[in-house]
Amino acid sequence: MSVTPVLDLRGVGKSFGPVQVLHDVALSAYAGEVTALVGDNGAGKSTLVKCLGGILPMDSGDYLFEGRRVRVNSPREAAELGIEIVHQDLALCENLDIVQNMFLGREWRSGLVLDEPAMEELAARTLTGLSVRTIKSVRQPVSSLSGGQRQSVAIARAMLWDSKVVVLDEPTAALGLAQTQQVLEVVRRLADKGRAVVLISHNMNDVFAVADRICAMFLGSTVAQVRASDVTHAQVVELITSGRGADGPSGVPARMNGVGRARRGDEAGPG
Amino acid sequence: MMRAAPSQEEVRRHNLGTLLRHIHLRGSASRAELAEGMGLNRSTIMALTSELTAAGVVREELPRDTPRRAGRPSLVVRPESTRVYVLAFDIGVDRLVAARVGLGGVILERREATRPRVPFDPDELVGALAAFTRQLVRRTDRDAVCVGAGAAFSGTVRRADGMIRYGPNLGAIDVSLGNALSRRLGLGLTVSIGNDANLGALAEHRRGIGAGCTDLIYLHGDVGIGGGIIVGGRLLDGVDGYGGEVGHMVVNPSGRRCACGSRGCLEAEIGEHALLANAGRTGAGRVGRDAVRAMVDAAARGDAAARDALHRAGDWLGLGVANLVNVFNPGMVIFGGTLRDIYLGSAAQVRSRLATSTLAAPRERVKLRTAELGDDTTLVGAAELAFSEVLDDPLEVLARLRTTAAGRLPDRSGSNA
Repeated sequence: MSVTPVLDLRGVGKSFGPVQVLHDVALSAYAGEVTALVGDNGAGKSTLVKCLGGILPMDSGDYLFEGRRVRVNSPREAAELGIEIVHQDLALCENLDIVQNMFLGREWRSGLVLDEPAMEELAARTLTGLSVRTIKSVRQPVSSLSGGQRQSVAIARAMLWDSKVVVLDEPTAALGLAQTQQVLEVVRRLADKGRAVVLISHNMNDVFAVADRICAMFLGSTVAQVRASDVTHAQVVELITSGRGADGPSGVPARMNGVGRARRGDEAGPG
Repeated sequence: MMRAAPSQEEVRRHNLGTLLRHIHLRGSASRAELAEGMGLNRSTIMALTSELTAAGVVREELPRDTPRRAGRPSLVVRPESTRVYVLAFDIGVDRLVAARVGLGGVILERREATRPRVPFDPDELVGALAAFTRQLVRRTDRDAVCVGAGAAFSGTVRRADGMIRYGPNLGAIDVSLGNALSRRLGLGLTVSIGNDANLGALAEHRRGIGAGCTDLIYLHGDVGIGGGIIVGGRLLDGVDGYGGEVGHMVVNPSGRRCACGSRGCLEAEIGEHALLANAGRTGAGRVGRDAVRAMVDAAARGDAAARDALHRAGDWLGLGVANLVNVFNPGMVIFGGTLRDIYLGSAAQVRSRLATSTLAAPRERVKLRTAELGDDTTLVGAAELAFSEVLDDPLEVLARLRTTAAGRLPDRSGSNA
């Protein structure tokens, strides 16, 4: 496809001392799409997210944003580009209300005082835009919200700042069914409103419920970037657990994006 | 053969309808936006909006919160949602909903009752809806006018006269519900009836996740499985209005017996009865939406029987969707009712089946989504059905209704002069 990915990482390498945790990693995320980043524990997903969020420097590789080569050396620089990361702990303040949390550190002012009505309106509009219907008032303290509602607030906050890429780290872990379903719908709406969403998840069902693309990592490398509509559950599980694409009816290998191709078929050694 | 050019009067009527439809579906708009959206000049828009304002269906106001710019601000045209409303009914297997829905699609007020699983009694149903209607109408403003009534019914409905031909899960066969309801409400309105999933498709297409998508399929899970197919922006409902019954598409010829008499219909394999039976969750009180949701929840919590039943349902659902994708090449497939829960709980199975059982080309751009209007999808669709007459010819319909209702409701047509 000729569309330029918003976020495009290529050939990323990262070592901690003698241990190479990422090598030849690639990840592309497109506007309006959910890209699921999947892989077993220790596959390198979290390290990759830290690199793309500017928390850890990359040792090697290219970081392209909207087709331009950029350097991202801090979380602030990532935010300036329009990359928001929603970490698993959400980083919400329990004692503050929803509006205060969404604008924390970036409050709008009207003269000397805070422009509460405008912030309140935008907070409410953002939540409505994501079809979050269960929250009664944006002046509720976060401590009164359920896990799913908190996740929705954190996602809405990431959406507020003209973000172009939103990275969600296991947003449905630790949630009950009803809340998981709500969050999945919010994730989907976030992409449908034009963001490039990167969803990190262990839950294959959640991945298939919302993802347009799947980027599978195995032992520190990207083993496949495929369209989610072209693969089966079994094939993705195979990629995650063995680093190889199963030759299923739809033929994953033929549809591979040419990423990490060198590693497929090799015995899966440590990175 | 050449068709005579439309008369000035026809053009005007058409423009009034188009403008009102624009306001109804997209909400308030400035005269400038309307002019651009409809491709008419501002003075024509002004003439149209003043006619609609005089009729009391829209009002014009100064914009509330736009930044000050040079020149006179363009007036914003807003729907008179509390003054112009319809009655919408949703007749599901387990619940009855009646609502007053204002122009612009606002649900102003609603009444809801659960329906016990007892044999279908048309008189009782009509009586219950009439009682709801009395409560809803009593609470309206004195100058409000009801411009239509529509009902969503879970069964096959003849378009011409609202006759219920078949509603297996409600136990209804050949019931003249539209006529009975129209007579009983006594509002001087004909109650239009449509298949619930067809109306759900319409609702999601106009006001939900499918807005802007011209080709979509809506799949609705209640006790059975219904479908509504929109092609080129129009509902594909066949010669008599029975189209879209995807629940009776055979996916497993040697499968379970279906209530319709066939075997292995999608509904027989993934409808409520099959789902709960496969999960070993039958018994007293275990019926309806809540029972299905409880089963999906149990599957998520690791109940093996529930999980297997859910995965099996996802596989059948995927097969059904695969057939539809190959035949219709939809831009979107929307899961509503209990199918929302089933899809979100078995997406891996649904999409795996889709990956292996469709042609690659029609699969490329299909989006799988859940209904944005939630449990109100079919109700909102019924309201849209009810609004269709007034949107086609606003002034004529209003004039007629105000004349017939003159004894009961004060006429306000002169108040804006």
